[in-house]
Amino acid sequence: MIFFENISKIYKPDTVALKNVSFQIAINENEFVSIVGKSGAGKTTLIKLLLREEEPTDGKIIYGGKNIAEIKNKELPLFRQKIGCVFQDYRLLPNKTVFENVAYAMELMGATDYEILRDVPRLLEIVGLEDRAKHFPIGLSGGEKQRTAIARALAVRPEVIIADEPTGNLDPYHTRDIISLLEKIYELGTTVILSTHDKAVINSLVRRVITLDNGEIIRDEEKGRFIL
Amino acid sequence: MATVFVLIVTITLITSLFISEGAVKHIIAQIKDKIDISVYVAPETSPEEMETIKDKLIGMPEVQIVTIVSKEDALEQFKEKHKNDPVLLESLDIVGTNPFYASLDIRANDPEQYAAILEVLNSSSLSDIIYKVDYVEKKTVIEKLSKFITDVNTGGLLIALALGVVAVLVAFNTIRVAIYDASREISIMRLVGASNRFIRGPFIVQGMIAGTIAALASFLVLVLMSYFLAPQIDAATNGFNVFSWFKARAFGLFFAQLASGIALGVISSLIAIRKYLTA
Repeated sequence: MIFFENISKIYKPDTVALKNVSFQIAINENEFVSIVGKSGAGKTTLIKLLLREEEPTDGKIIYGGKNIAEIKNKELPLFRQKIGCVFQDYRLLPNKTVFENVAYAMELMGATDYEILRDVPRLLEIVGLEDRAKHFPIGLSGGEKQRTAIARALAVRPEVIIADEPTGNLDPYHTRDIISLLEKIYELGTTVILSTHDKAVINSLVRRVITLDNGEIIRDEEKGRFIL
Repeated sequence: MATVFVLIVTITLITSLFISEGAVKHIIAQIKDKIDISVYVAPETSPEEMETIKDKLIGMPEVQIVTIVSKEDALEQFKEKHKNDPVLLESLDIVGTNPFYASLDIRANDPEQYAAILEVLNSSSLSDIIYKVDYVEKKTVIEKLSKFITDVNTGGLLIALALGVVAVLVAFNTIRVAIYDASREISIMRLVGASNRFIRGPFIVQGMIAGTIAALASFLVLVLMSYFLAPQIDAATNGFNVFSWFKARAFGLFFAQLASGIALGVISSLIAIRKYLTA
């Protein structure tokens, strides 16, 4: 389970990004959770805290029974390898091909060349990029870049996939593709946490929705809709 | 590319400083060769006695070479030196006899050793035979030259050190900027779960490769420069053949350049990337 217990985050001097946020998400029994809110509601801050890119001003985050604040710096890479991340700006390595970007994540885990050559093509097939393996990010469309990012996130066989505004830079057609892909990943057994302010996406999913407003949770519904 | 170029300039500059030191040493040796003192002996001194004095002087570790100049040699040298001055030559005829004294021209290994050599001469039995030593007249010049040589050596070393430090700092800064350019990539690597070792590795290897390429390029540049500039440098320094000097030390220079290029590339990368790694 992931527990957020009374999490607050204040940026100096007095910007309150999150205020007393508490919720839990199952890892082992996969969940699909959407976190919605306006820009500045605190969605990205929540994700940064979960990845330990930043530390909370108050409260604690428990991941798999362990307070993530207590993870030593040298163990942080191992922790982050359990979480697959997908970002609005894709964050692909520009000097590596699609294949190499996905393979890089496996190399970090210590995968052998055999395992990489076996699994990366399969992952690219899942996301529909098997014929773009040798292309560099600069030659891909937004949707293709995001699918590469999803393939990379899947490469580490994560316990949870976090997608932070993954469709923010995409047109409606690519948006639908990406969301379908994320649903497929969920159905295959991985918890998905999707952060978005796209109303159409949320209303089409009909799954758990946590609504943030001004840093506070105002709603947490099993079959939620986008209401602000 | 910029990193390799700056490393080439740095390595070439530092190696050039070593080459310049070789040239300076050559010039200094030339100057030292010009310095000597003359010990004039009494007119009744026989050639055998002069040979005895010569042998005694050569036996001293400070003495490099001793040349006997007989009265006749001294007269011939004077006539040759002033062959275009009929007044002086006429005055010789008026004197009638050879007015010159025989002498021993002594060259020491180091200008600072002349005083010690004279000390020995004056305190020995030979002091009766010695008529005059022109050390006093030359002493000021000798002392000034000695001081000049020491100052040039020290000054040269200090300039070389300062230039070397500046060159290294410029190379380090260039590498730092190159790594800064990659800071976004590094943050992506960290987010995906790369450990410090995984992040550091590629940059260290890049530093090594850049250092190696720079060393090879610098060596080639210096070989070509020393080959094509050798005649001009030879003329300017009165005999310092820079290409021969380079050839004689090529092996050692190449490995020194390679080692320093790789060290500079790797150490600069290590220091520059530290900022982006987790503790």
